[in-house]
Amino acid sequence: MTRWLLLFILGVIAILMVSPLILTVFTSLKPTTELVNPPWAPPVNLTFEHYVRVWTEGGFSRYFFNTLVISTVDAVVMIVIASLAAYAMVFMEFRFKLLLQILFLIGLMIPVTAIVLPLFQIVRGFGLLNTHLGVILADLALAVSVFVFMFSSYFVGVPKALHEAARIDGATEFQIYRRVVMPIATPAVVTTALLEFLWSWNDLLLRLLLMTRDEMRTLSVGLLNFQGTMTRDVTGLSSGTVIMAIPVVLLFLFFQRHFVRGMTAGAVK
Amino acid sequence: MAGVDLINLSKAYGDTEVLHDINLSIADGEFIVFVGPSGCGKSTLLRMIAGLEKVTGGDLMIGDARANDLSPRKRNIAMVFQSYALYPQMTVAENMGFSLSLERRPKDEIAKKVQEAAETLKLGPYLDRKPGQLSGGQRQRVAIGRAIVRQPQVFLLDEPLSNLDAALRSETRVEISELHQRMKTTMIYVTHDQVEAMTMADRIVVLNGGYIEQVGGPMELYNTPATEFVAGFIGSPKMNFIKGRFAEAVGAKTLGVRPEHFTIGSGDNSWEGRVTLVERLGHDTILYVKVPDAGVLTVSLNGQHQQQVGDIVHLRPKAEFIHKFNDSGRPIAA
Repeated sequence: MTRWLLLFILGVIAILMVSPLILTVFTSLKPTTELVNPPWAPPVNLTFEHYVRVWTEGGFSRYFFNTLVISTVDAVVMIVIASLAAYAMVFMEFRFKLLLQILFLIGLMIPVTAIVLPLFQIVRGFGLLNTHLGVILADLALAVSVFVFMFSSYFVGVPKALHEAARIDGATEFQIYRRVVMPIATPAVVTTALLEFLWSWNDLLLRLLLMTRDEMRTLSVGLLNFQGTMTRDVTGLSSGTVIMAIPVVLLFLFFQRHFVRGMTAGAVK
Repeated sequence: MAGVDLINLSKAYGDTEVLHDINLSIADGEFIVFVGPSGCGKSTLLRMIAGLEKVTGGDLMIGDARANDLSPRKRNIAMVFQSYALYPQMTVAENMGFSLSLERRPKDEIAKKVQEAAETLKLGPYLDRKPGQLSGGQRQRVAIGRAIVRQPQVFLLDEPLSNLDAALRSETRVEISELHQRMKTTMIYVTHDQVEAMTMADRIVVLNGGYIEQVGGPMELYNTPATEFVAGFIGSPKMNFIKGRFAEAVGAKTLGVRPEHFTIGSGDNSWEGRVTLVERLGHDTILYVKVPDAGVLTVSLNGQHQQQVGDIVHLRPKAEFIHKFNDSGRPIAA
């Protein structure tokens, strides 16, 4: 009985979670004439015309490329800098280590919206407005604390003896990082790559603020094109949303196993 | 190959000194064992020689060079860890050849040295396996192989057998001894197991509370312990310590009698007691005998004996093997 009740509750939650996505997919595949039908009615005459329109006329091919570049660079660079910083925090002794740890901790606590104006001034001061580099640097700076913390929790689980054995074998700190520690940190690497990619892919605020020129825009900002003050292009918005969601969903499905392992790292011995 | 000299060596963490004024000269090619109870500083001392702990006082010489400030990789040492510390993502061959690959040695030279070490340690069939696919004993042999391949000046072994089961432990003990005889490299071995120390060492260093209690050959430590602590630590079952009237009768604060140095039989100087427990090992029979004013004494009799729990026995310590200690735990000369 309890099992059935549990299944029912889980079923209801699953439907609630997935229904907006299904409605969006339905809307994106309907001809404009079918929009008068209830939104939960599946499309009668399937059409991909809205996808073509959004991709070409809507400029999504350009936005997609911009988003892909920014998110990929974000993810790759984040893995490198966060893992290097975490390695130093966990395996090395140096002056002001505690101070640095406190600074990283503070970084975890500050919401982006609280520092968005000074951030804008800094990026403008460096002449990086309307550049991918400006957004990438801002992304990295704002999220690095989270990933240093995550890599640190993973590295703490790496036996100290392994690090010591490598030192005795004659490895430098960088060789230990690259050849001993990183190869066994795959779950943390995958989790960082996915989360940073996802955050960067979905972020609206920084992109809206730091990149005003159309050719520099990303998908999240591009979606706003389909929404005016008085009108809304529902099919365009839906198709754009699906285009934006597909890569992330695929990535997550592909790396799900590693991702879960990374998120639970250090939970139990 | 090289000897190791510890000159007034000390180690402190903040204000707390954990090793005090250690002086020891380890000869080239010697097999020396650091032994002592948990927390005595034996592993810390080994890690200082390895370069994994900073020396806070005195001098550490490896060969003719002062090694206090040398990084581990410049000391030309190899270490076998208690936890094996094998690189899980590498195969057995890669683990063993890792140090040589860091030195950018040619691949065929690395392969040849790994192969030689693998043959010595009977690891040939496992070279392509990952550590996770090996048993505990095989992993320990890989860890030893990783050390051999480097041909270091000094081998350091930190309780390498403590994760193995009893049978494998004695087997590996013999293998390490044979390896030392073949290689003639200086080996420094840390253990808390005095049986390992007695069976493997050329010389044993007994540590207690951060001080060296005694340094000597296994039989020297067994026959003429320098302190009450060494007398109790070396030997299994451990020495009986008797205070009170029995000790005072021979002019000592404490009387030490090893379990195997009792005979059973009545007589003028025998001590009467009741058997409280009997352990029959086949080659030996161990009796626990409660003697008034002496406590429970352990008696080891060679061969098989018929005593039962509750029997009254008369113990007679062999006079020539009695150890007498004064108030400070030092032996009283006969």
